[in-house]
Amino acid sequence: MSTSIRRNLHGLLWVSPWLIGAGAFMFLPMAMSLYYSFTDFPMLEPPLWNGLGNYRRMLDDPTFLRVVKNTALYCAVAIPLQTMVAVALAALLNGKVRFSRFFQACIFLPTLVPLIASAMVWMWLFNGELGLVNRLLGRAGITGPSWLIDQNWVMPSLVIMSLWGVGQAVVVYIAALQDVPRQLYEAGRIDGMGPLRQFANVTLPMISPAILFNVVALTINSVQIFAVPFVMFRRPDGTNPAGHFYTHYLYENAFVYGQMGYASAMAWVQLIVVLMLTAVMLVASKRLVHYRRV
Amino acid sequence: MAAESSKTTQWLTFMVLTCIAVAFLAPLVWMLSTSIKPESQAASAEMNLLPRPVGETLNYAADNYKSVWNDATVEFPVYLRNTLIVAGLSVVGMTLSSAVVAFGLSRIEWRGRGAVFALVLATMMIPFPVLMAPLYIVFRELGWIGTLRPLWVPAWFGGAFNIFLLRQFFMTIPKELDEAATIDGCSSWRTFASIILPLSRPALAVVALFHFIYVWNDFVGPLIFLTHRDQFTLALGLQLYQSQAGNTPWNLLMAASTMVVAPLVLLFLLAQRTFIHGVATEGIK
Amino acid sequence: MVLGGTGYAAFGPRGSRDPRERNRIVLDYWEKWTRHEGEAMMKVVDAFNASQNRIFVRYAVTSDIGQKSMIAIAGGDPPDVIGLYSFNIPPYAESNAIMALDELAPRYGVSLDNYAKGVRQVMQHKGQWWATVNTAGSVALYYNKALFAEVGLDPERPPRSIEELDDAHRKLVLMREDGELLRAGFLHREPGWWSWLWPYHFGGSIYDPAGDRSTVGSPECVRAMIWMQMYARELGVDRVKKFADGFGNYFTPENPFLTGKVAMIVQGPWIANLIQAFKPDLAYGVAPFPVAAGVANSEPVGLIDTDVLAIPRGAKHPEASMEFIAWTQRQDMTEQLARAHFKPSPLARISEDFLSTHPNKGIAVHYNIFNSSRAFIAPPTRVWQQFKDECDSVVQRLWRLEVEPDAALAALQIRTQGFLDRAADERRRRAVS
Repeated sequence: MSTSIRRNLHGLLWVSPWLIGAGAFMFLPMAMSLYYSFTDFPMLEPPLWNGLGNYRRMLDDPTFLRVVKNTALYCAVAIPLQTMVAVALAALLNGKVRFSRFFQACIFLPTLVPLIASAMVWMWLFNGELGLVNRLLGRAGITGPSWLIDQNWVMPSLVIMSLWGVGQAVVVYIAALQDVPRQLYEAGRIDGMGPLRQFANVTLPMISPAILFNVVALTINSVQIFAVPFVMFRRPDGTNPAGHFYTHYLYENAFVYGQMGYASAMAWVQLIVVLMLTAVMLVASKRLVHYRRV
Repeated sequence: MAAESSKTTQWLTFMVLTCIAVAFLAPLVWMLSTSIKPESQAASAEMNLLPRPVGETLNYAADNYKSVWNDATVEFPVYLRNTLIVAGLSVVGMTLSSAVVAFGLSRIEWRGRGAVFALVLATMMIPFPVLMAPLYIVFRELGWIGTLRPLWVPAWFGGAFNIFLLRQFFMTIPKELDEAATIDGCSSWRTFASIILPLSRPALAVVALFHFIYVWNDFVGPLIFLTHRDQFTLALGLQLYQSQAGNTPWNLLMAASTMVVAPLVLLFLLAQRTFIHGVATEGIK
Repeated sequence: MVLGGTGYAAFGPRGSRDPRERNRIVLDYWEKWTRHEGEAMMKVVDAFNASQNRIFVRYAVTSDIGQKSMIAIAGGDPPDVIGLYSFNIPPYAESNAIMALDELAPRYGVSLDNYAKGVRQVMQHKGQWWATVNTAGSVALYYNKALFAEVGLDPERPPRSIEELDDAHRKLVLMREDGELLRAGFLHREPGWWSWLWPYHFGGSIYDPAGDRSTVGSPECVRAMIWMQMYARELGVDRVKKFADGFGNYFTPENPFLTGKVAMIVQGPWIANLIQAFKPDLAYGVAPFPVAAGVANSEPVGLIDTDVLAIPRGAKHPEASMEFIAWTQRQDMTEQLARAHFKPSPLARISEDFLSTHPNKGIAVHYNIFNSSRAFIAPPTRVWQQFKDECDSVVQRLWRLEVEPDAALAALQIRTQGFLDRAADERRRRAVS
């Protein structure tokens, strides 16, 4: 055996655990899922081929359209909002502020909380009559809405909750901000740029790789949102329609309605959408993101 | 914006940050506060932090937490054990296997290395729902439904994200060390175990820590793959506690939530630097 | 910390195990009941375990039992006995998730004749027998006698028609000067568990089993929904929303019926249990839920909603499971459980003093519904879960006055018919393949 072949096999050996695992627990299920998406599969009986039936059904299914709308709306609002808030917080923490470590910890801590616990705490906070949020608003003379029941306030309550978990992104941005070379700011000031211009023309471009990374990760996560609405919006008299999201409906089809084929089709649509969004972001990044030569 | 700021800007920033910190901590504080009150006071219109009379606080707290811990239906002690088992096996497997694969992707020159790495990165984009249903079938065929195995066995094959992290870290270790070892007659395994691993302790700690948190908090996996109640994990147990047909009072619910969150907070306070450092590095590179 | 964790993991508590389990066949019995209802069933289980030493039954409370059981059965790791709801039977039966009992049950002394006429329909589906009933209920009107007296209504004369119900409701509504709702006579959404109930009291139905057709768009359904919307219009949607937000959950002393916030509700007999537990001095009356003018009312109309026991496919000891089930269906055991749950007994034969000594004051009403030929059950179709979720969603929107009944129900009929047709189509294709 020539050394190069031996070396290749050697390398393969080292990465084999992942290849085997990914094969068994990722690629195989994906292939299975693709197959199921063209069948009717109630789990207890074997899959039955039905061609493009599931995909065609999606277009006529009002619940499908509704969960798509809800998920898309959530992503459209939460992702930019979270990013802006995270960058703003990071900027605040980056200055010479006393106890910045402590503030950082406060903001980061909520990200450790299991989503289930977060959901329950926020259910309690947003409770229409007894929740802290409405009580505080009451002290200020405002009658708070039924956050979790009123159709119009479901999305805002979810978005507010999502902002609570912004800590991880904040830490990433702080590190990114600290990496920005000082000379650029100096140069900017000499050129007469005020702090806001500096921010727009120096800071943002310099941390754009970090922004890209976080936005991509956030998108992949937000599209899949499941645990929180599952806990917060299911009721004995039906799930709140404004709180009905894509992955929840997928789960219902797979494990409650016995429509695993349809669920698989939904899953593949979700996968393709995620891939397309990521591709679009990567392409856009070529123009917007500045990579420094390290 | 590291430019020099005037005293007023500094004070302003400090004030704003204090408000923000309070806002971020408030839910957790309120959770704790509700968890130590008796049921009637938890649902009252007052906004006290401590129950009244204040002297009874410890008694009320003990009542609530004991009630949650000893609940006949939702057996949190058992769930804690299950979560620890899954977390322990999972973290060890994940750290080890990710390190092995990362080694193969960084310290050995071989053709196809780049392709495999690209593949690893690509899999980070796969949303879980597409795997959810068929994984269920796969585990069913393996006979693993009804055991804890679906939750920790896959971790022993490495995780894309951790492989990425460790590979980046390994690349910062000078190659001369490997070369010296090879000259000394070490096999690549020896190099890995005796040289690379010890040097990578901080990165390995980050991987272990973050995966531990992930397993502790994981909900969807247990929801689908665990059937018997005595296998449930804490996250799932918490949801069960909340969704019981008879409604659980808020103070007990908050006590249960606090119980599930507390160990992680403790971990965070002990290992704060590792946390922050870990999150920061992942984003930059 | 790591050491502590490892120690706990290795030696910590495992699920509770009873020492009597050794040397016996152990059966896992998943049941939905918690608290006092669960305790009553656990007494029956304990009695069974004490009565012989070959089988030991472990009672496990399971939430979302309809979903979780299906997942466990599909995963190849089912329990041995499951306590489902009667409306779970058609989906489970048609997906082959449970075992037919036609041959197994008689061997242990259980036969269909043991059961009351009305109850038999939930146990069977498409000609086979799938489950036995452990407790049975029917849905009726519960009303607060004290509040009736307070507003000048005769507490011994419950509404006998929809119009009388409307009238009583209006008298019972109480509003503050600023318009805030303090009390409602009747609220459809309380508890809102059966959003599809009303058409039946208007002489219609939502499903026709003979033709496998959805009839949600029928004129009777539209009338029923117009009637429901009348309440929403009169009370004001936002006002009701605020009012309902302050309701306690069902199983608490803040249950709106218990606190007098709602004077009349539709419920099953189990609510009497709740009343006894949390507010025993509440004077309540029970009557069949009235029907609309023009609908035959010689016999009471009501939904039969029961809890059933079934044996999952793949259960390891079906014979032992059946033995346990048969034991729970003994007359004395059934009556014990029924009394503890404040429900009627599902059996054809009952003890002489069962009705007279029963803790539920309205037990006779529930019985009459069982024996009525106008009693109905949830649509026995495989796609019922999805059908019901769609109905819930549309009824919610109708209640909030967001849509008009004829358009919404027509669309709902098309959608639900789609579910039925798709299931039928799949059945056909499977039969040929």
